[in-house]
Amino acid sequence: MSGYWAGILSILAVNIIFAYAIFIPVATGQLNLGGAGFQAIGAYTAAFLSASVGLSVTFTLLAATIMAGIAGGALAFPILRTRGVYLILATFAFAEVVAGVILNSETLGGAMGMSVPGYVEWYVPCILAGAVTVFVFYLMATRFGLNMRAIHDDDVVSDLMGVNVRMTKVIAFAIGAALAGLAGGLYAHTFTYVEVQGFNAMVSIYVLLYVLLGGTQTAWGPIVGASFFTLLPEFLRAFLPKLQVWVLGVLGQDAATVQPPDESWRFVLLGVITVLMMAFRPEGFVTRDLVDRFSWRSRRLRTPDGAKS
Amino acid sequence: MLLFQQLVSSLMLGSVYVSVAIAFTLTIGILNFLNFTIPTLFMLAAVVGWALSYWGLPFGLSGALAWPLALAVGVAMSLLVSLLVERMTFRVMKMRFGDSTEHAIPLVSSLGFLLIIENLVRIAYGSDAQRFAGPDVELTANIGGILVRVPQLVNLIVIAVVVMGLAWMLRYSRIGRGLRAIAENPDAANILGVDTKVIVPIVFMLSGAFAGIAGAAFAVNYGEVSPQMGEDIGSKAIAGMVIGGLGSIWGAVIGGLLVALIEIMTIHFFGADTIQIAVWGSLLVLLLVRPQGLLGHNAIGKGKL
Amino acid sequence: MTPLLEIRNVSKNFDALKVIDDVSFSVPANGRTALIGPNGAGKTTIFNLISGFYDVSSGVVLLDGMDITKVPSRKRAALGQARSFQNIRLMPHLSVVENVMLGQQSRADGLKQALLPLRASHLRAEAEAQLESMNIRVHPDDVVSSLPYGIRKQIEVVRALASKPRLLLLDEPAAGLNPAETAALVEFLRKISDSGVTLLVVEHDMSLVRSLCDHAVVLNFGRKIYDGATAHVHEDPQVLEAYLGPGHAGKAGLAGAVA
Repeated sequence: MSGYWAGILSILAVNIIFAYAIFIPVATGQLNLGGAGFQAIGAYTAAFLSASVGLSVTFTLLAATIMAGIAGGALAFPILRTRGVYLILATFAFAEVVAGVILNSETLGGAMGMSVPGYVEWYVPCILAGAVTVFVFYLMATRFGLNMRAIHDDDVVSDLMGVNVRMTKVIAFAIGAALAGLAGGLYAHTFTYVEVQGFNAMVSIYVLLYVLLGGTQTAWGPIVGASFFTLLPEFLRAFLPKLQVWVLGVLGQDAATVQPPDESWRFVLLGVITVLMMAFRPEGFVTRDLVDRFSWRSRRLRTPDGAKS
Repeated sequence: MLLFQQLVSSLMLGSVYVSVAIAFTLTIGILNFLNFTIPTLFMLAAVVGWALSYWGLPFGLSGALAWPLALAVGVAMSLLVSLLVERMTFRVMKMRFGDSTEHAIPLVSSLGFLLIIENLVRIAYGSDAQRFAGPDVELTANIGGILVRVPQLVNLIVIAVVVMGLAWMLRYSRIGRGLRAIAENPDAANILGVDTKVIVPIVFMLSGAFAGIAGAAFAVNYGEVSPQMGEDIGSKAIAGMVIGGLGSIWGAVIGGLLVALIEIMTIHFFGADTIQIAVWGSLLVLLLVRPQGLLGHNAIGKGKL
Repeated sequence: MTPLLEIRNVSKNFDALKVIDDVSFSVPANGRTALIGPNGAGKTTIFNLISGFYDVSSGVVLLDGMDITKVPSRKRAALGQARSFQNIRLMPHLSVVENVMLGQQSRADGLKQALLPLRASHLRAEAEAQLESMNIRVHPDDVVSSLPYGIRKQIEVVRALASKPRLLLLDEPAAGLNPAETAALVEFLRKISDSGVTLLVVEHDMSLVRSLCDHAVVLNFGRKIYDGATAHVHEDPQVLEAYLGPGHAGKAGLAGAVA
């Protein structure tokens, strides 16, 4: 396999795990706008243990997952007394603090970043992404997953039904944080270099958008969202210059003299897709209806509306 | 004396945070909408101001404009874009069924707008910071033995006046009463004859204006504009708003000033690298201990049966 | 014989506003009790106090002789009470059977149940059987938000029953139903009652109250004004005054006025 495709597959796998990390709390009705913070904890845990302690990749990844999970649980437990926008702000603040601590830590290389000795081939993230996907599908099919989705719809009634709302939220948030840590650890070992700029607020925003645009009703959403938005830039990288040449050609200009289009167009496009999706399909691209339509179980007897009298 | 100079600097920086924090607190307090386009509205006023004072109107319609005029157009631009955002986020959002992440839909949309506006500006003018040639920022006046920079003083006065004007308006005017009614209970406000279709755009206009004025003030005093200038200021303003208490104008004032104070003092005592930890750390602690902020009330997101 | 539910001197204040003022009544086991009163009398508030959504300001709530006043709302379902809501509060994004399975939650605590895939659980089969036995014509996998109002109303009752409650609180079960649907509902509720479940029903439809309930408690402005047989409720002067205003007592039958 060429280095180019191996690189893309690695990024795709890391992003899918990262997307699931955000999806699990979102499916429970909590927006995590600090994904990059948890990813950074995982990445730097792995990097430090690999560089300074010399642990093998298996253990660094495990430690990255656990560390981020603990941080997530520790943050979620007190903050989940509050709801809605406070949680969003707290996760955002948390990620900023993590970045600030890393920036000021000499052991973690500060602004210089640090290189990671352990390198993993592309299939390691891919296999782990597959495992995480299976795990999330399983989780959503259990009673715990049912409770998560119930809390997403109506936490007050869930409580009256006997669901332990706060514990479910904390566990979901911690599982999400742990997965973000795993994604961070894989990132560190795939690129063998970490720097704090790679985990800024924009990264948190992007991954949240991937998940919300992919759809949060089923576990299919994050994988679709992450894949689409990871592969789209690669596609655009090839396609946009051609489009530009074509447009300029139609306008009768010589394409050879023009600068290639700005990378920023990709983000404009992501923004436009976001705004349009929120206006016309706020539940995301993959909905439960859509999954039902493609499912082999969908050929079922439907009752005519209002037949019961 | 140095410490005093630091206090004056924090007041200046703080007034920018206060203005942006008020922009945030208006939409969140009245509409329960955390509007992430505000940092870009802040940036837009400054960058448009710079572009007009440097290049003049597009397509060579004019030469370079005088900087006050250019900034005024910039602020107007922020206001218009804010209205556009209202049309495309808040107005079209209607979910068929209740959903605990429903409140996040406009928020997510505004993140989309953040990407669109910031990157369009980047495409138009490049990512580099540009020098804004405004008035001489070093121009000082001696007031009672204390040297004060005139542009800083003017900015402080302008922001103080608009903030007090807003506070007066919210308290005494008809529009202000309508705004507060919506903040209390949107459904009841509708029944009481408050026309949300009129009031909601007003909130966005006010919010855009405050963000824009802050951007103009920043451009004049710090002499530099860039497409990403809103990210840092915007997030600090959010921190200030939360510290003061969501939805409270005076909370935004106190919080904004406090964040600036923390920032300047942190630089003074520990160096610039630790700002992030100091500002966000204090915010995080506050959220854990007293989530409603210093002056806020904890009424956002309560369930009903 | 101890009543299944007893409300003893319960008051509820919201700040300075007294919503429930020293109300006491009991709900006999296996009975069908109605809780009625004009709008704003505090009926739903009583339900919220019983289910623990609000804390009482003073007074005691007893379930089968046990003081549950301090029991958190989450744990009350396990003690044998379940409720429906005035506006349907089903989870819109869950399927019919998933909603019913959510109702089983109080019986399905524990790690093993939490981590067992739903399709493999005997509780799913039980939920499907329950839907079938109630004769609701839906597919278990239909998503709730796509179903008509009357059916959603019934599913909410089935969800409440899924916890195997001894006491079922129904908040306006007939609201929004046509007469035929209401008649079917009465049959449905009788069946539930005959299986040994005690009913406490908040309802505006007096004909439903008369045909279903033997015992009625009437509230007005947060106070109890009547507690006795349903058959005589329309003869009580205080009740008539509450519904029709002062001076009307005796002129018109309550039945005609509010039915």
